[in-house]
Order: sequence, then structure tokens, then C-alpha cells
Amino acid sequence: MTSAIGRPWASAVVRMRNDPAVALAVFMLWALLALFVLYPLAALVARMMVDHGAFTTAGIAAVLTDRHQIRAFWNSLLLAFLVGIAGTAVGFLFAFTAARGRLPRALLTAVDAAVLLPLVSPPFTTAIAMIFSFGPRGLITYDLLGLKGVTVYGLTSTLFSEVLTYFPIAYLTLRPLLAAIDSNVEGMALSLGASRWRVFRTVTLPLTIPGLANAFLLLFAASLADFATPLILAGNNFPVLPTQAYLQITGLFDLRGGAALSFVLLLPALAVFLLQRYWVSRRYYVTITGKGAGQTPFDSIAPAVRSVLLLACALVASVIVYFYALLLYASVVVALGANHAFTLQHYRVIFTDGLKAIRDTLIIAGFAMPLGGLYGILLGYLITKKTFAGRRTMELVSMINYALPGTIVGIAYLIAFNDPPLELTGTALIIIACYIFRYGPTGIRATVALLQQIDKSLEEASQGLGAGSGTTFRRVTLPLILPAFFAGLGVVFIRSMTAISATIFLVSISWTLITVKILENITELSLGPAAAFSVLVVVIVFAAIAVIGRVMRFFRAPGAMPTTSLLGG
Amino acid sequence: MSEVSGETIGVHVDGVSKRYAHRVKGEIYAARDVRLDVRPGEFLTLLGPSGCGKTTTLRMIAGFETPDAGCIRFDGEDVTSLPANQRNIGFVFQNYALFPHLSVYENVAYGLRVRGHNDDLIGKSVGDVLALVGLAGYEQQFSGQLSGGEQQRVALARAIVIRPRVLLFDEPLSNLDAKLRVQMRQEIRDLQRRLAITTIYVTHDQEEAMAVSDRIAVMNQGSVVQEGTAEDLYHRPASQFVAQFVGRVNLVTGRVMEISGEAVKIAALGTMLNARSPSRGLAAGDAVQIILRPEAVEVVRDDAGPLRATIVSRSFLGEKIEYWVRCAGETLQVVRYNAGPGEIIPDGATISLRCAEDAMTVLPETSLERAQRA
Repeated sequence: MTSAIGRPWASAVVRMRNDPAVALAVFMLWALLALFVLYPLAALVARMMVDHGAFTTAGIAAVLTDRHQIRAFWNSLLLAFLVGIAGTAVGFLFAFTAARGRLPRALLTAVDAAVLLPLVSPPFTTAIAMIFSFGPRGLITYDLLGLKGVTVYGLTSTLFSEVLTYFPIAYLTLRPLLAAIDSNVEGMALSLGASRWRVFRTVTLPLTIPGLANAFLLLFAASLADFATPLILAGNNFPVLPTQAYLQITGLFDLRGGAALSFVLLLPALAVFLLQRYWVSRRYYVTITGKGAGQTPFDSIAPAVRSVLLLACALVASVIVYFYALLLYASVVVALGANHAFTLQHYRVIFTDGLKAIRDTLIIAGFAMPLGGLYGILLGYLITKKTFAGRRTMELVSMINYALPGTIVGIAYLIAFNDPPLELTGTALIIIACYIFRYGPTGIRATVALLQQIDKSLEEASQGLGAGSGTTFRRVTLPLILPAFFAGLGVVFIRSMTAISATIFLVSISWTLITVKILENITELSLGPAAAFSVLVVVIVFAAIAVIGRVMRFFRAPGAMPTTSLLGG
Repeated sequence: MSEVSGETIGVHVDGVSKRYAHRVKGEIYAARDVRLDVRPGEFLTLLGPSGCGKTTTLRMIAGFETPDAGCIRFDGEDVTSLPANQRNIGFVFQNYALFPHLSVYENVAYGLRVRGHNDDLIGKSVGDVLALVGLAGYEQQFSGQLSGGEQQRVALARAIVIRPRVLLFDEPLSNLDAKLRVQMRQEIRDLQRRLAITTIYVTHDQEEAMAVSDRIAVMNQGSVVQEGTAEDLYHRPASQFVAQFVGRVNLVTGRVMEISGEAVKIAALGTMLNARSPSRGLAAGDAVQIILRPEAVEVVRDDAGPLRATIVSRSFLGEKIEYWVRCAGETLQVVRYNAGPGEIIPDGATISLRCAEDAMTVLPETSLERAQRA
């Protein structure tokens, strides 16, 4: 990966002249990245800093002096920190139990399914279920416990809901790491006389620390960027930055203020991204190959401990299952909490009034999916296999929209594409572009990971037989990286169905989305249709995962990733 | 734990079995009624092809696996259900299993810290043992910075510093290159002699087994098929499997014509061979297998002997030359030590073979072999 560094520009230019296909692709990608990644960011900063052609700090100053906004900033950090800690702990509990608990296969599948649910759900599902359960007329607070005048809104329920939504990220990070720890290393410690607890404390845990740090940072970033949960659950007394930025724009029509707020959010998000990417991820002791260590492990958990772990996991899993069952139930009764008569009215509503949103979402996802998949493998291929000037920069730039909170990306797109000649607001194109450049990077990373396992000699053999780089890519490399293509495509599709934080700024009368419709329903307190929409999205996404999983099995190449990695990003 | 060296104990493996559920084959025995008797201070090697149960047996002795039947005793004490961390053993893994997050010093010190020794004592013990394995000065290195051989020495140091009752090796040299493998096995053997620790060593490399062991137990399909010194196994194999696994061999079928005591007359290779071999219940008329080591067949450069043969091909290996010869319809491998450039016999030359009486081992043909031949 470092071979481009220090290589003279001249030789890179010569290479490109010899390989027009690569040169053209690189040029096109740079043009797209400039237009859809760099330009919106620049426009965001410009909107904040420039007023009628003059430099101004008024926008940022307004944020930094507003006590309410400063509180929102600290609240965001506090919430993200707590979600990071609690989510990593729950994720580790599940990962450790799955990796070491010697669970029967059926139970493992059940755990995986329960853990996947929150990852593939539309953004408000846990928030709605929280209100159904713990709101003033909640099933648990009011009906079960008889409490009156309960407020569900605030830090605690936002934290609870976000931990439940995001701990699967920690699970997916930690489980392969724990599985990849050579069981002989633990066996060795045991044979040297250490107790199981001591082995865990002095060997297993230290080897997992980089992964824990990584999971913490991923969860921190996810919570920092989360817009949907606090919008519903945080309430007025616990403002956070993404919702403040949203309200600033949609409520007060203050684009500069929104830009300034999202810029304040950008700093911690960028810091976390750089820390995660350039510091933590290089500190792994264990190489994750995707395969288990292979040896027969010894019983690394005492039976009593195993029971406790299983019980704890079952508890968390049953909360998840309960939430989703509640959502399903709420979608088929007249009004949860008041009238529990069976009805299909809510589904009738979403397939009549909501039909446009469903159609728009599917059309947009349908376009974004193949384009995003293509973008992922093309860029991933170029930065892994080809030498050209600015290769590392291209990789970094391609990750920007993926790493930034959606609110920032959304506001940046809104500002950037509002005026001619690039007036895209109100079109489907702006939403599609947003999805491609925001979720395509998963495909890039999958392609890079896959290509690094494919030996260089395969392509050299093709070139030796006289094929140009275009033919070699099409006939040799492409078939080998198809799994990455489908992974990238799957993520773009799933996120197109479930995302809201960026696209809430980009929808219009002409083009709207299911997730935005859900938000509208919640604010209008029509929770029935909101629940029905959520159920529909979960069903579509699960169907998509099943289809993609089948396709990926069909193209199963060495080093192909498990389907769960679809959701890791 | 005693600090005095020389707490040498015997290890008894008594009828130990371990079953696994196999996806295709159903339930299979990884180890079946394994019996071993390792004497105090002895170096015993479990030798066999992959999947023969040697590693499973070793892991049961270590306490990483629990046998389904049978018992394991250390010096008379039943340790069958004792977990690995209470057996006081030293284990050396094939992939070394060094703790990647700890320095060489902390790796070696681990077992001593578990035992609650004070820092002074630990410092001295670790220093001594690192000097013993030739790694003085490597204390602050991490495993990623070490070569394969160095990692192997750290693993060895870590296993012996706790003065284990038993030292267990699981294919410790298979990740090293050929030259280093020879050097390390000598070092392991010397160290074991010096420390007089009862040692059980697992390998699939018969040469390695013969080089290091006091005694070798050959395993196949979960069972010990023969046990003895390297000479025993090589010169007196109890079965075709052992003969073929330990060293190279020519297998010749024949029929017993006459038998008196150890002297057996066998019709084979188109002539009558005189062998001297334990009778093993043979009777005249029995079909037998004659085991003929390549170096035990003498090549005579004339065509006058009773066993006439033609050179088919040869491999020049420096100090020796291997010939493939055709003799009475069978192809045999013979070895001649290289006595000089003029000594190479050309392909197609006719020669005579001579076999010493006591160089042949005669085995009754098993029903399986008979079936295979038919």
C-alpha cells in the first residue's frame, strides 16, 4: 500500500499514459469525488465563514456564545461517551459468549438474528417502542406498573435506546477478534498454572483491548451522528447537536446557523475517525482472517459463569425481541395503549397515502444500489492495484462522507446544490448521489480487503498473455471481487431503506422517503402507520439480506466475507 | 511447587479413549484404549501420521481435553479430571503460542507470577533460563520481533522455568526450516537430559523421533500399534504399517516353505530366501510379507547370484545412490554408499542382490493385506 509514496511523479505519469483506461477511470473518480465530497464540504464551510463576499466569524461565534448550543455540544459528547462505554460492554458480553460459550448452532443463529435486528431497522424503531413501553401511557410504565405522569424523554431513555441500537457494531467488531485469538495462547497460560479468571484477565482481555477501543470509537461516532433517536427521545431538556442543527434549518430556516452547528459537530467526529483509523486499528495483536483459530479449544469458561453469561445475553435479546414484537403488534391494532382491536387500517394507510414514499424509496434505492456497488469496486480496485499520483489521498477523500455524521453531509449537500448551475435540490439525483458517496465506501473497503488476498501473479499472468488492464480487470479481477460488489451493493440498498440523518435535508415534494414519512407520522402522533412502515422496512431489508446472502454464496470466492459484514459499516 | 530440580516422575496412561462426533463418519475414536508407561526422566515420542490420535493423547495428558474412558496418572496420582492449570506441566505448542502482548521476559515470567514468586526470584529464574536457551539479552523483545527459532526457544524457556513435572511437546519443530529443525531437536534433547524432566513429544517425522527419543510409541487410527526403541521399531517392526512408517522399506510377498526355530525358508522373488526372524506362529505354507530395508540389500556387480536384477533408474544423492531395480517381477529400492565416481552402475545393467538373513523381517500376511492383494 505504501509503494506509491516516494515514487517520483514522473514515473506515475508515464504509467498513466501507458494505461489510458486507468487514467480515464482515475480522472472520472476524482471529478465525482470533487463534486460530491469536497465541494459540498467547502460550500458548508464557505456558508459559515463568508457573508456577502466577506469573511465573517459571526456564524460560528453565534454558536459558541449560545449557552443552549454549548450545552448541546457537551450533551452530544456525554451521550456518545456513555453509549460507547455501555454499548462496548454489551457487545463484548455477546461476542465473548458467542465465541467462547460453546453454544449450540441453533442458539448462535438465534443470537445473531436478535443482534442483527437493530442494525437493519429504520431509525426510529427502538424510539417508538420505548414510547410504547415507557411513555406516559406506556405498556410497562402505565399498564403494568400503574405509574402516572412518567416522562420517557431525556438522557436515560436516549442512552438505553442507542445502546440497544448500536451495540451490534461492537459485537461485530469483537466477535471475529475473540474467535481469532489462538486458543493455544490461552491454553498455554492455563498450563502454566493460571486459573480461568486469571487467563481471562491477563491474556484474553489484554489481547482484546485494541478491539474494545475500536468498538468504543465506532459507537462513539455512531451516537454522535445519531439524529433520529434524540429527535424522538431526548426531549427539550437534553438538546444534542444533530437535532439542534436540524431544528435550526427546518424550524428557523437558518442555514448559516445549521452549518455552524454541524461544523462544531464535525470536529469531534473527525477526531474520532482519525483516532480509530490511524491509531487503534494499527495496534492489533491478533490478525483477523475471518477464520477461527482452528484448534479444539478447551473449556475456557466455567459452567456457572457460562450460565450467567447466557442469562445476561438472553435478557438483552429478549428486550430486543420484545421491542420488535411490540412494533409488529402496534401496527395491527387500532391504537396501542388505548384500543387493542385488530385492524389492517395502518397498512391500508401506508399502501395508499404512503405509496408514493414507498415507490420513491425503492426507485432511489434501485438506482443507488448498482451505482454504489460499481463505485465501490472500481475505487477499491484502483487504490489497491494501480499506482497513480494521489492514490492515498483518493482513498482518504472517499471515506469522508462515510465518516462524517449524516447531518453534516445532508446540510452540506443542501447548501452546495441549492443554486444553479448545480441546482439538484428537489431531485432524486441528489439523494442517490448522497447514498452512493456515503455508503459506497463499505464496498471500497470490502474490495480492498478481498484484493489484498488475491495474488498479484494472477493479473500478471493475464498481462503476460497480452491483455490490457481493462481486459484483465474485466476477465480476471472482476469475477474474483464480485462478492465485494454484492456486499457494497447490499449496504447501499439497506442504508437507502433505513437512513434519514442526511437525506432528511434532501427530500422534497417530488421525492420523499419512507424514513421521512415515519418521522412525519411520529410527529403527528400517528404511531400506528409509523409502526406499519417500520415493519415493512424490516421485512424488505431482511428479504434483501437473504437474496444478497444467496447471491454471495453463489459467487463465494476465497476470502469472501460473511453476510453479517454487510452491516458492519 | 518445589524449587529443587529433579522431581522426576513417571506418567501412566491407562486405557484412555476419546470419541468425537464426525459429520460424515459419525462417531469416531480420536484415541482408543491408549496405554503408555513413561518412566521417570524418560523421553517418549508419540509418532504417527496426521489424525492418528497423538496430539489428542498429548492434550489429554496436558489436561486440555478430558478422556471419555481410562485414566492418567502422574507418579501414581490420578490426574484424569484435574484441570491443566493444576497439573504442573510444561507445554510447547507447534505455533509457540507466545503471548503477543507481553515481552519475552514477561512471557517467561508468566508461570512464575501465577505461582506468586517474588520479583527477585522471578528475575533470577528468567535470567537463568534465558541464558540456558541462548537468549540472554532478549528480555525486552516482543514475539513479533523474533525469528522462528528464537520464538521456539522462548516457548521452551517458558515451559521449563516453572520446573514442570512433565514436559510436553506438540510438533514443536514443524514450523522451522530443515537445518534449524535438526539443530533445535539436538538442543531439546540435551536440555531434557540435563534437566532430567520426564518428556512426551509428538511428531510425525520419524527421523526426528528417532533422533531425540529414548522410546517411541507409534500410533495409528487412535491406537498405539508398537512401542520400543528406535532400533526395535526399525529392525523389528511388528506390522507392515510400522515398517512403512519408520524408515523406507521394500515389501515382498512370499510363502513359508520350511521353518525351524528362528530360521525360516521362504519362497519369494523367484527363489528361496533364508531369513532369521521370530516365528510369530508361522507354519509351513503360510503367506507372508518380507520386510526388506533398502540398505540391507547388497548390490553385487555380477549376474551370477541367485537374485538377478536389472537397474531401472537411479537417484544420485551425494553420499549415497538410490537404485530402483527390477527383480522377479517386483520393483525394489536399494541403496549403495557412494565409494567414488567410478562406482555408479548404469541403467539397464544386470546385477545380483544379496540379502543378509537377519536383515529380513517376516510378518504373517493379514487378512486385510490378503484382501487387498486379491
